[in-house]
Amino acid sequence: MNLFSASVCIAQKDLRLFFRDRTGMMLGLLLPIALVTVFGMIMKFAFGGSSGMPKVAVWVVDADGSDASAKFVRGLRELGMLSVLPRAGEPAIDAAMARALVLDGEAHHAILVGKGYGEALAAGKEPPITVVRDPGRAMEARLVGIGLMQATMAAAEGKSMPWLLASMMRRQGMSEAGAERVQASMLLVQNVIDRFVAGDAELKDAAATPANGFDMASIFEDMVPVVREDVQPPARPKNLNHQLAQSVAGMTVMMLMFGLMACSVTLLQERDQGTLRRLLVSGAPRASLLFGKFLFCIAVGLLQLAIMFVYGELVFGVGTFRDPLTLVVLAVTWAAAATAFGMLIAVWAGTPKQAEGLSTMLILVMAALGGCWFPIQVADLPWWADVVTHATLTHWAMTGFQGMFWHQKGVLDPTMVRAIAVQWGFVAVATMLAWRVWRRRFTAG
Amino acid sequence: MQEALLAVTDLSYSYRERQAVRAASLQCRRGAILGLLGGFTGTMTFAGAAFRPAGDAAMRSRLGLVPQELALYDDLTARENLAFFARFQGLDAAATATAVARGLELAGLVDRQNDRVKTFSGGMKRRLNLAIGDLHGHELLLLDEPSVGVDPQSRNHLFESLRTLRSAGRTLIYTSHQMDEVQRLCDRVAVMHEGRVVASGTTAELAARAGTPDANLEQVFLSLTGRSLRDEA
Repeated sequence: MNLFSASVCIAQKDLRLFFRDRTGMMLGLLLPIALVTVFGMIMKFAFGGSSGMPKVAVWVVDADGSDASAKFVRGLRELGMLSVLPRAGEPAIDAAMARALVLDGEAHHAILVGKGYGEALAAGKEPPITVVRDPGRAMEARLVGIGLMQATMAAAEGKSMPWLLASMMRRQGMSEAGAERVQASMLLVQNVIDRFVAGDAELKDAAATPANGFDMASIFEDMVPVVREDVQPPARPKNLNHQLAQSVAGMTVMMLMFGLMACSVTLLQERDQGTLRRLLVSGAPRASLLFGKFLFCIAVGLLQLAIMFVYGELVFGVGTFRDPLTLVVLAVTWAAAATAFGMLIAVWAGTPKQAEGLSTMLILVMAALGGCWFPIQVADLPWWADVVTHATLTHWAMTGFQGMFWHQKGVLDPTMVRAIAVQWGFVAVATMLAWRVWRRRFTAG
Repeated sequence: MQEALLAVTDLSYSYRERQAVRAASLQCRRGAILGLLGGFTGTMTFAGAAFRPAGDAAMRSRLGLVPQELALYDDLTARENLAFFARFQGLDAAATATAVARGLELAGLVDRQNDRVKTFSGGMKRRLNLAIGDLHGHELLLLDEPSVGVDPQSRNHLFESLRTLRSAGRTLIYTSHQMDEVQRLCDRVAVMHEGRVVASGTTAELAARAGTPDANLEQVFLSLTGRSLRDEA
């Protein structure tokens, strides 16, 4: 029997066994789907649809209960970047409970609106607001800060700028007299703006009307005049955000490694159950055992990828099938690379337990470093960490899949060619090493 | 006298830095059952090593193996196990069908052919294990403790099957720690000790050589190899 026929024979037998163990098969195929679903949903909802902005959960305690404070809280709720708690209809909490939630890690920020908020705002004074925060959450703190400013402006109906600026200058060390002069000057500016908002024809330029009307809350975002130019592939699905694409690609890449590791371990099971010796003396080429397992793993890998991609498309609309050629090339490439990794670990490890332990550690490390969990590609890493990241197999798989999902690149794009070439290079080296170890450890004697 | 299928002279063989066979010489006639006593390392390795000089697939294709382990796939049926090993040994579709049918007969599993192996008793698995080893109709069949852990009926069936194979002109090398089995089944017996063939012949010849003409094979074996513990694998 020639090498190819014997390898196909082994692969067919293993596929039959794979499909026969229905519970194992369903777990192998459904677990990745469950993970993609969980991570995909988290990313989709946590990062606010297609905006790509993370939503920060903030507890709000309104001790004032005035119209102005209610407007302030409503302003916070309307911001896309914050998830304000408690939600409408849920019981309110007090300041002590809010502090306890932050202390316990149940919340990272709480905004306490003190008594007298409405009166202070009407009088043009600093309103009593306290932000309770976990100092280790600096990134979220900035978002909360932006949200506070926008909600305050909304609550003050655009009249907050004078006292806001005066207050800011006091905090910068300006004297009370200086701060009062700033506030007085800004009141003049505010009056002009009020007249403009009220529709004073003298102040209106009929030819220049903002697309969304006057929006005091976002006025600071547009303070520096810039031309914004959106650059993105035209075929990118509208509801796709970067984190979602990252999640679907990352979980797919990582779970395929786990799945194919389990398939590769069947090589060790052959030895342990005694069938290996019987197969080795059968007269068929000994290499067929290794290559048969290789074919089996690739077949299972492609099946798993196909299920994951169909699911990702149906549930999340990641645009999987926009470019079938690129999809097929990337899928075959990653299935081969993950198989080669699994085979190398399987033949190198002495027992299935060793193989599972070692592979779990390596896969998790590679998944983290390669960007399967979070977009490490955009992180500002030190040079050595960047080298380590590029040394992981998962990095190149993620480069390929994110290139297809997010950047909508085709298989001939130089970045994609490089990612694919690196993976096939690994396949060649790992398979050769696996073959050498296989011959030495499994067929000797 | 029938021709020798296997003739080995001064064979030495090391495995994993261990001298498993030392200058051993042995002959095995075609159509006979040769009992080989002395543990797996000293016996099956010896038999395997005898085929090793050529070491190629052509030589291996003349050799069938019935390992001590139940080398079966539990989640495949008896028929699927037989068919897989037949195909893997290079049989075409027609030959596979014939070999599978013969194997099921030999194992006495025609009625259970479509049941998964994991539902079988130990004896049924042993019978299937033997049938798979014989699928290709190899000239020489190595059997490593093929009756371990089986019920008397299955053991009896196994022995009948082996005698049937011998009658069909097949050569069997049979290793076992069950001396009574070897005495009952084998035409000749070779005793290995520390990698050497220390004696070979019929049970009666071995007994005479050991100076205990009325002794059984176990007593002869102890006489030839000593009573100290044997820790060979």
